[in-house]
Amino acid sequence: MALAQSGWKLSYSNSWVRVVGVSRRSSGAAAKPAIFQASCPPPSPAIAVKIRRKCLSNWRWTQQPPQLLEDKKSDASFFIRCSKYGSSIGAASNTNSGKGYLASTDQELMSQCQMDTFKASGPGGQHRNKRESAVRLKHLPTGLAAQAVEDRSQHMNRASALARLRALIALKVRNTVDLDAYSPPQELLQILPQKSTIRGSDCGPQIGPNNPKFILGMQALLDLIFAVEGSVSEAAKFLGLSTGALSRLILSNDSLRLAVNELRFSKGMKPLK
Amino acid sequence: MKLSFSPKLSTFLKPSSVTNLHRSFCSSSISSPPPTSLKPQTPLFLKPPIHSAASSDLQKWHDWAKSLASSVGSTFVDLDNGPDSTLLCREIKWLMEDAIEEESEGMENNQRSIRLRVALEELYMLWKQRVEERRPFQYVVGCEHWRDLVLCVQEGVLIPRPETELIVDLVGDVVLGNEGLREGLWADLGTGSGAIAIGIGRILGTGGRVIATDLSPAAFEVAGFNVQRYGLQDVVELRQGSWLEPLKDMEGKLAGLVSNPPYIPSDDISGLQAEVGRHEPKVALDGGINGMDDLLHICKGAASMLKPGGFFAFETNGEKQCKHLVEYMENDAGGSFCNLKIVPDFAGINRFVTGFHK
Ligand SMILES: C[S@@+](CC[C@H](N)C(=O)[O-])C[C@H]1O[C@@H](n2cnc3c(N)ncnc32)[C@H](O)[C@@H]1O
Repeated sequence: MALAQSGWKLSYSNSWVRVVGVSRRSSGAAAKPAIFQASCPPPSPAIAVKIRRKCLSNWRWTQQPPQLLEDKKSDASFFIRCSKYGSSIGAASNTNSGKGYLASTDQELMSQCQMDTFKASGPGGQHRNKRESAVRLKHLPTGLAAQAVEDRSQHMNRASALARLRALIALKVRNTVDLDAYSPPQELLQILPQKSTIRGSDCGPQIGPNNPKFILGMQALLDLIFAVEGSVSEAAKFLGLSTGALSRLILSNDSLRLAVNELRFSKGMKPLK
Repeated sequence: MKLSFSPKLSTFLKPSSVTNLHRSFCSSSISSPPPTSLKPQTPLFLKPPIHSAASSDLQKWHDWAKSLASSVGSTFVDLDNGPDSTLLCREIKWLMEDAIEEESEGMENNQRSIRLRVALEELYMLWKQRVEERRPFQYVVGCEHWRDLVLCVQEGVLIPRPETELIVDLVGDVVLGNEGLREGLWADLGTGSGAIAIGIGRILGTGGRVIATDLSPAAFEVAGFNVQRYGLQDVVELRQGSWLEPLKDMEGKLAGLVSNPPYIPSDDISGLQAEVGRHEPKVALDGGINGMDDLLHICKGAASMLKPGGFFAFETNGEKQCKHLVEYMENDAGGSFCNLKIVPDFAGINRFVTGFHK
């Protein structure tokens, strides 16, 4: 019986979005445009992740185009899609880098999105009682899109879709890492276990995968793992952790695990289990 | 949910004389009988889980409910643009969410048993009402999820619409950088379930207050229940009466005025989707010949109620009414408004008119 409402399916296409030329360490980066590149690892299986809902009170959005999508799913699953047209778009400045998107407030992120709702046939408003409150957000700079249909209010679906979009950005938008001058950013240190030797006591308690802030650290971790081409032991050295401890961190979040394994698969490495 | 749900409405609701009713009809619904009691009913999800059922019996109910939903196919869509099987199936899931106590599984006579907030027989009855009588799902479960709120609703009270959620966002935008508005006095006219008033009450500053009015006694009671449930008794004050009538003491004092008054043209009422036309209160829907009676009435009063710089937002039936309203405010309202804007809803339909008092 479908009592559980926590699990949801997530499927995405196989295009990675890579931000090239934005080194956080290089001083001239702010003026350099970011370039998105697509590479194609093999298709990933549908995976389940959990994202804590956030309540949002203020929104701004662009006006919807007439083209809207139809929901024909009878169950309450939803899908995150990585749309094809997102694979090669230039972004204007460093603040719009992959990291910048996640650091933006919900309102800022929302202002970069186009919001579609399910086709309202007829005049809507008081005329209608159909509870079709599904929402689809398309993040214009990256082309990533997330949608939510299973919540019971429009507002909550919007919040869910935005949370999913954040996860998707973390998983899909890569920042280039300068390994020679690497020091992990604060948001990454915060998701590391206490025993990391480079984690200062000022980092506070470890941020777990259910905390919305985990996503920022997850993005930085993936940036590093991509820079070391999927080698967990290499990445672990940069983070002052044993390979085992980093593996456990990666395995603690399904979407993170799948993203890492997808990369490892493309490099001919064994998946983490 | 840890909110209390036994309000003592009388302690904070001021009765106000209902004078000057400019509406000659008072029917609460078109074909179903008027609500038997004005007392707010406890919504399903707040009822105590004192019933139980074997999981196999619940499964049987679920199968039955699904097959009933499937049998609908697209009949209702074709008939009056009502719900299809897909939507009905989603509602079954929500109904179960509300009816079943989470983590309530136990064993009884070697059978898995599940604790319910309603007897299984009644669950059969409720779903039958939903499909066969087209009783709105929200009346069946007694609540509607609106924004981040769960609002209680029942027959006699309009179910708040997703479009209307946006009014709270519009208010959120204007109060953001404006302390005078954020800490000011607001009014929600025709508050229904209290949706807009509660939504606004939660985003205003500590000094902000909302007065919510409604003519309908059922709405008045239910709004009180919802205000209480969200602990906003000190923020949202309810007054019963017609439109601006209960606000006579507030002339020139309002920082903001919002309303989603009835706006459906009378001729369209008979063709409404059964859930709406047969079950929701006509007094909440019928806006007169062109649907603008109440909107214009409220607009006429708005200038005298708002203080200089005060904000207003009204929901309308669409483009035509928006334009009509803007025209009225530009020409007939003697230039007392500025920054008039037409704002589309999330489906792209021009839905709201907003502006400021000069
Ligand atoms: C379309 S409903 C809106 C309810 C609620 N504000 C919402 O958005 O969900 C219109 C409301 O106006 C109320 N109403 C109708 N005539 C009224 C009048 N003359 N004075 C005050 N309220 C009235 C109805 O009872 C109903 O609650």
